[in-house]
Amino acid sequence: MIDYVGNNYQSRGLSNLLHIDLKLFLAIIAITILGLLTIYSSSSGDMSLVIKQFTRIAIGIITMVFIAQVHPDNLRLFAPPLYFFTVILLIMVLFFGVGNTADRWLDLYFIRFQPSELMKIFVPLMVASYYSDKPLPPKFTYILLASIVVLAPVLMIMKQPDLGTALLIAMSGAIAILLAGISIKFFVSSLIIIISLVPVLWMNMHAYQKQRVLTFFNPESDPMGSGYHLLQSKIALGSGGFFGKGFLNGTQSKLGFVPEHSTDFIFSAYGEEFGFIGVLLLMFLYLFIALRGLSISVKATDNFGRILTGTLSLTIFLYVLVNVGMVIGFLPVVGAPLPFMSYGGTSMVTLFATIGIIMSIKSHQRILRK
Amino acid sequence: MNKTKARSEHIRKRAKIEEKYSWDRMSDADDERQSHSTRAVIASIVVLTIFTLYLFKLYEVQVSSHEYYATKSDSNRIRIRPIPAQRGNIFDRNGKILAKNITTFDLIVKKEKINNYEEFLSKVKTIIELSDSQVKNLNKQFRNKRIRDITLLEDITMEEYSKISVDKHALPEIELGVRSRREYLYPYSTSHVLGYTGNVSDSDVYSGVIDIQEGMTEVGKLGVERFYQNILAGESGFEKLETDALGEIIRTVETKDSKRGDDVYLTIDIDLQNYAYEQIKNKEGSIIVMNPNNGDIISFISAPGYDLNLFTKSISTENYNKLINDIRKPLINRAINGQYPPGSTLKPFVGLIALEENIINEKKLINCSGAYSLKNHKRPFKCWKKEGHGPSDLSYSLTQSCDVFFYRVAELTGIDTISENLYKYGFGQKTYLDLYNESSGLIPDRDWKYKIKQEPWYPGETLNVGIGQGYFLATPMQLTLATSSLATAGSTFVPHLLLQSIDTKTGDALPYEYKKNKFTTPYPDANKLDIVHHAMWRVTNENGVGTASNMKRVKGLEFAGKTGTAQVYSLDAGKSDKKKLQDHALFISYAPFDKPEIVVTVIIEHGGSGSTAAAPIARNIIDFYFNNNMKVSSND
Repeated sequence: MIDYVGNNYQSRGLSNLLHIDLKLFLAIIAITILGLLTIYSSSSGDMSLVIKQFTRIAIGIITMVFIAQVHPDNLRLFAPPLYFFTVILLIMVLFFGVGNTADRWLDLYFIRFQPSELMKIFVPLMVASYYSDKPLPPKFTYILLASIVVLAPVLMIMKQPDLGTALLIAMSGAIAILLAGISIKFFVSSLIIIISLVPVLWMNMHAYQKQRVLTFFNPESDPMGSGYHLLQSKIALGSGGFFGKGFLNGTQSKLGFVPEHSTDFIFSAYGEEFGFIGVLLLMFLYLFIALRGLSISVKATDNFGRILTGTLSLTIFLYVLVNVGMVIGFLPVVGAPLPFMSYGGTSMVTLFATIGIIMSIKSHQRILRK
Repeated sequence: MNKTKARSEHIRKRAKIEEKYSWDRMSDADDERQSHSTRAVIASIVVLTIFTLYLFKLYEVQVSSHEYYATKSDSNRIRIRPIPAQRGNIFDRNGKILAKNITTFDLIVKKEKINNYEEFLSKVKTIIELSDSQVKNLNKQFRNKRIRDITLLEDITMEEYSKISVDKHALPEIELGVRSRREYLYPYSTSHVLGYTGNVSDSDVYSGVIDIQEGMTEVGKLGVERFYQNILAGESGFEKLETDALGEIIRTVETKDSKRGDDVYLTIDIDLQNYAYEQIKNKEGSIIVMNPNNGDIISFISAPGYDLNLFTKSISTENYNKLINDIRKPLINRAINGQYPPGSTLKPFVGLIALEENIINEKKLINCSGAYSLKNHKRPFKCWKKEGHGPSDLSYSLTQSCDVFFYRVAELTGIDTISENLYKYGFGQKTYLDLYNESSGLIPDRDWKYKIKQEPWYPGETLNVGIGQGYFLATPMQLTLATSSLATAGSTFVPHLLLQSIDTKTGDALPYEYKKNKFTTPYPDANKLDIVHHAMWRVTNENGVGTASNMKRVKGLEFAGKTGTAQVYSLDAGKSDKKKLQDHALFISYAPFDKPEIVVTVIIEHGGSGSTAAAPIARNIIDFYFNNNMKVSSND
C-alpha cells in the first residue's frame, strides 16, 4: 500500500547531505552564542569557562550530526534497549551514585554523568517507539503500560533526589502520551488523580525541596535565605530594563548576587545585560524552535516520528518555560537548566542529541505514494 | 473429508478472526495524520498562549518595574563608606598648641564580621587576657550602634601586635586599626577649658547642638571641644564602593575627600594658665583672668584638673569611678558651676548701689561697735572685728571690709533695691561665655524666697546679702564679669574663650566677633564709681589698713582688689565626712589700677581668709602677667 520511494534530500547542498535542518540549527547556534557571551561576562571574562562550554557545544553538534544520520527506524528499534539500559544505570545511581547534595552522578571512572539526563530523551523515545505499531488513539492498556514506562524512571530520579528533572521527564512523558492521541477527557481525569496525589508527594519530599516550594509561594518572606536566589535573580532581570545594562556591564551576576549565574540562573544574567530587547530575541528563538519542531512533527510520515518530534520539541520549550518561569517567579525554584544557554555538559549534549533526533526524522521523511 | 472439512472450517474461522483482528489492528494513516495535526495545532496554541503570558510578565519585571529593581540592584552593590574628617587643632592665643590629633594603632574587629557575640568573646579571651571592666567595655561597644568597629586593645605597639598575630588563626577577624586620637598637651591645667572628645553617643545625637555626620566617630563632649564641635569637626567625605555579594570591595566608584576641621585659637595664654594652675593645683577652687576691655578670657582654671587624655582612650571604668568618687570633685567645672557666696567681694557692689540710689553719700558715717543689732532679732550681727571700727565711711569700710557698715547700708537700701540692681553687674544670670551648662548663680528676693520656702523675707536676710552671705550665690565667672564692670564703668563684653578659627583649607581666619553685654548700662556718676575704685585701691595699697595690703608689691604697677571670706557650712572636703563651718577665700581684682587690662578672680574653697589665701595668688598672677611681657592686646 505504501511504497518507499526515497529520501527527500535531492540536491539541497551540504545541510541536506548531513541531514541538517539549517533553520533549526542556526536558531540553536544563535542561542549558544548568547549563552557563551553571558557566561563570559558573568564570570568576569574567565575564558576557561567559555572554552569548556564551547567544547561541549562542539561535542553537542557532533552528536547532533551523528544522530541525524541514524534512520528513524533504527532509532525506534534501539529505543527499548537504550531505555532499559538507562533504567539499570538509574538503579546503579541509587546505590553507587555520587554528588554534593544529592546523588545524581554516576562515576564510571572515565566519565561522570547523570543518567537522569539521558532519560530526558529515552522516555519520549520509548513511548514513541511503544506506540509506533499500535493503532491510535491507544487503548487503555497501552496508556497504562506507557505510563509505567514513564513513571518508573521518574520515581527513581525523584529518589536521588532530583525533583526538577523527575517532573520534567514526567511532563515529557505526559506530552508524548497526549500527542499519541488519548482523549482530553481521559487526560483531565488522570490529571485530577495526579493532583490528588500531591499530598503523598509532599510527604515524600526532602526538607530542602519543601522549603523551595514554600519559598516559591512567598519569596519575600526570607530574602536572605531560600528566597535569596529568586529575589536576586529578579533584581538582576528587572534592573536590566528595556535595553539592558550592556554587555559586560551586569553587576548583579558579576558581583555574585545572582547565584548560579552561569547555570540555572543564566537567564537573569542575560536579561540584566541585554534587557527586554535581548530577552525578546531569545524567547522568539525558543518559540521558533518549538514551532519548527511541531511543524516537522506534522509532516512526519509515521506515528513514531510524529509523537517523538512533537514531544521533543515541546519538551525543549517546556524546559525554557520552567527555567524562565522560575526566574520570573511563575514557578518554584527547581534546578532546571535553560536549554542551549546554561553552563553544563550533560544537558548541552543531551539537547543537541534531541535536536539530532528531530533532524533525523525531518530529513528521512519518506515520500509517499498511494 | 471430514478432516478436510474441519480443517477448512478452522481456516475459515481463523480467517474470520484474522480478518476481524486485522481490521482491528488496521491503522488509518490519514486519520492518524489528521488527529496529530489537530493536536499539534492545539499544542501550538497552548505554546503561544503561555509564551505571550511570559512576555507580559517579562515586560512587567524588566520594563514596568525597572526603577524598583534598578534601585535594589544599586543598593545591593554600592556601599557608601564615610571618610571621617580630621579634627582641627586647638591653640592658645599665641599659637601654642593645646590639643592635636595623634595616630594610634588599635586592635579592632569589624562588627559586621561578628556572627555570634558570645562565641566571639570567648575566642577573644583565648588570645587576650580581659579584665571584667574590659569585658564590660566590649559589651558597651558592641551595643553602641554608632560604632562600626570594636576596639579590643588601644594604643598598641607593633611588637605587641606581632605577638598577638601569632594567635591570629584563632580569631581571624582581628585587624590593626589606624585611628586618629586626640591628645592634650596640658591635660590638667586645661581640663575645664578644653574638655575632651569621645565616641558619639545617643545623647550627642539628640543634643540638638551638634551636627552629626556620617562616619563621625568622635565628638566633643565637654568644654571648648563641645562648644566648637561643629567648627572643629570639619566635613566628612565618603567613598562610594562597589562590593560583591560577599562584601568584598571591587572598586571605588566615587570619592569625596573629607575636609579637615578648622583650627581653633583660644584667648587663653597657656603660660599664664599653667602658672595659675600651679598656684592652686593642690587646692579646690578657681582662677579666672579676663581682659575687661573685650571679654578675652586669658586664664580659666578650675582646680583640681584631671587627665584629659584618659578620656580620649575610652576611659576604663576603674579610672572613671576614681574620678567620679574623688572627694575633691575634679570633674566639676568650678569656674562656671561652682556657686559661692561671694562674701565681702560683694561689698563694692552693694556700696555702689547705695551711693547711686542716694541712700548714702561718701561722707556718710556709720558707727561700728563690733556688732549690729536689728529690731526683733535676738542675736546681734557681728563684724569680723570684735572691737569694732568706730565711725566709718564707705571708703574706709571697704578698705577694712567692715561688716557693720554694710549691714546698716543694706538695711537702709532694702532687699528690693539691692537685688534689682545686682543684675546690672551680671549676677543672677548666665554670662554666656562659650561653654555649655553654665550655672546662673542666685540673687535672692522676696518672690524667690516665697516661691522656694513659702516664707516672707526677713529683714535679717537683707543684712546677710549686704555682706555677700546668706542666699546670694555667684560663680567665679560672674564675679569676674562683675569686676570687669567696675573696671570699665559698665562697658563689658561677653566673656569668651574663642579668639579666632582658621580654615585649614584656605587659611582664612575667622576672628571672634566681640559682643557687648546687654545687661550693663553705663554708670550714671563717674565720681561715685571713683569712690569705690579708690577704696579698692586702698585694699591692696594702704599699708596696715587695706585687707590685702600686707603683700609684696608688684613691681611697676598698682592694682585694686577686694578680699572676701565666705563662711560656709559644708563638708570638710578631703579630711572628714562631717559638715563644719569653713571659710572660702575670695579675691577680686583688676590691674593696672589706672588703666585696667586684666581682671583676676581667685576663689579657694575652704582656703581660709581672702587676704591670706586668695589675694597673694592674684598678686602673683598679676606680677607674672605684667613682668613677663605677657601683655595681651586689647581691642581698643
